[in-house]
Amino acid sequence: MALLEIKDIHKSFGNLHVLKGIDLTVNKGDVIAILGPSGSGKTTLLRCINYLETADVGFMTFKNQSYDLSNTSKKEIADLRKHTGFVFQNYNLFANKTALQNVTLGLTVARNVSKEDADLIGMQMLEKVGMQDRANHYPSQLSGGQQQRVAIARALATSPDIIYFDEPTSALDPELIQEVLSVMKTLANEGMTMVVVTHEMAFAKNVSSHVILMEEGKIVEEGNSKDFFENPKQERTKEFLRKEEM
Amino acid sequence: MELFLESFPKIFISGIVITLPLALVSFIIAMLIAIVCAIIQYAKVPIAKNIVQFYIWIFRGTPMLVQLFIMYFGMQSIGVRISAITAAIIVFSLNTGAYCAETIRGSIESVPQGQMEAGYCVGMSYMQIMMHIILPQAFRSAFPSLFNNLISLVKDTSLAANITVTEMFMQTERIAGRTYQFMQLYIEVAFVYLIFCTVLTWLQAWGEKKLNYYQAGR
Repeated sequence: MALLEIKDIHKSFGNLHVLKGIDLTVNKGDVIAILGPSGSGKTTLLRCINYLETADVGFMTFKNQSYDLSNTSKKEIADLRKHTGFVFQNYNLFANKTALQNVTLGLTVARNVSKEDADLIGMQMLEKVGMQDRANHYPSQLSGGQQQRVAIARALATSPDIIYFDEPTSALDPELIQEVLSVMKTLANEGMTMVVVTHEMAFAKNVSSHVILMEEGKIVEEGNSKDFFENPKQERTKEFLRKEEM
Repeated sequence: MELFLESFPKIFISGIVITLPLALVSFIIAMLIAIVCAIIQYAKVPIAKNIVQFYIWIFRGTPMLVQLFIMYFGMQSIGVRISAITAAIIVFSLNTGAYCAETIRGSIESVPQGQMEAGYCVGMSYMQIMMHIILPQAFRSAFPSLFNNLISLVKDTSLAANITVTEMFMQTERIAGRTYQFMQLYIEVAFVYLIFCTVLTWLQAWGEKKLNYYQAGR
């Protein structure tokens, strides 16, 4: 049984039809890279499956629980989010909280974990992303790469079954991208289930287990990453890969 | 000089025991009203939102002096007896609350939407995100304007003299009426208001520095 199964998501913003029927299956331990040109709907897809946007149509099964992506109660959404993590393009760290507080807030406030236990978990997570020395720094005192690593620690702290990454390195200076990617690689190697919207071809090629290419709200091609890069079936995929290699 | 030594302590003390408490109590109530109204408007709660808008419209659109007269003399004339000081506190709270509500709403709206989304994604509820993330940040950006409102309020409490509250200005008037030294006494009372507002300005600067804890380079 798949961890996450999505059927037929549609989403429009006004007249703009952004998602035109997307199906997606994620098994435990999968690392799925979603590629595609800007405006292809990758980010919207990710936001819809965590209810940051409400889809017009769409169904999801997550941990054997069914969800209607176009209409769900607040309680169901809250329950779902207790099992997922989300990493944003622009980090979205809580500006008025330290790195450690950013990581522990989901535990102490949302899950009633005691402060001592939460701090312990928080420090472990910061250590995992190499940020334990900056535990008491505020986001404004950290570089983009450091903020994104704290954001990953925050997503990890609540031990989610899956983490969604929305272009986690797109807002970073080139020299900071690597520190974030290497954290993500470690997670992938540890068996974390991840869905990653990205422009980093090397990550898709070397770290992800599966790759999906999206264009104009549809999936063009999907497959395991070896096949995708070495034997693309669709002309469009070949063209996309050629352009990316230049 | 003799008059000064006799009158200044009286004016100053009535400022400490009436004017400042009147302003502070009204301001605290105003803040509570303002936060609730701001959240109702921000969250676009149906009906309640319209009531809040109506309230702000009324209290920002009419003079405070008229509001005081309605609340005290007007109410009295239709048989509702409220003590002058209560009427003053009600009007000052509602009036300042209306202004602060708009300030706080604007500050809440200026907190980036991503903060709310990130809160949801770690499993927090709307109210939890409000209390821990949005309001503290909004409060920081609202702080200078809110303090502005407080300083205005301290001076506006002098209007309460018109509805028989013996606050600092009324006290001054009485001494002036007795001694006929109008110029000197009005300047004395102006000076006391200036002292109060100067201290508040210092407090504001200190508070802003304290609240900057999470902002680098400020």
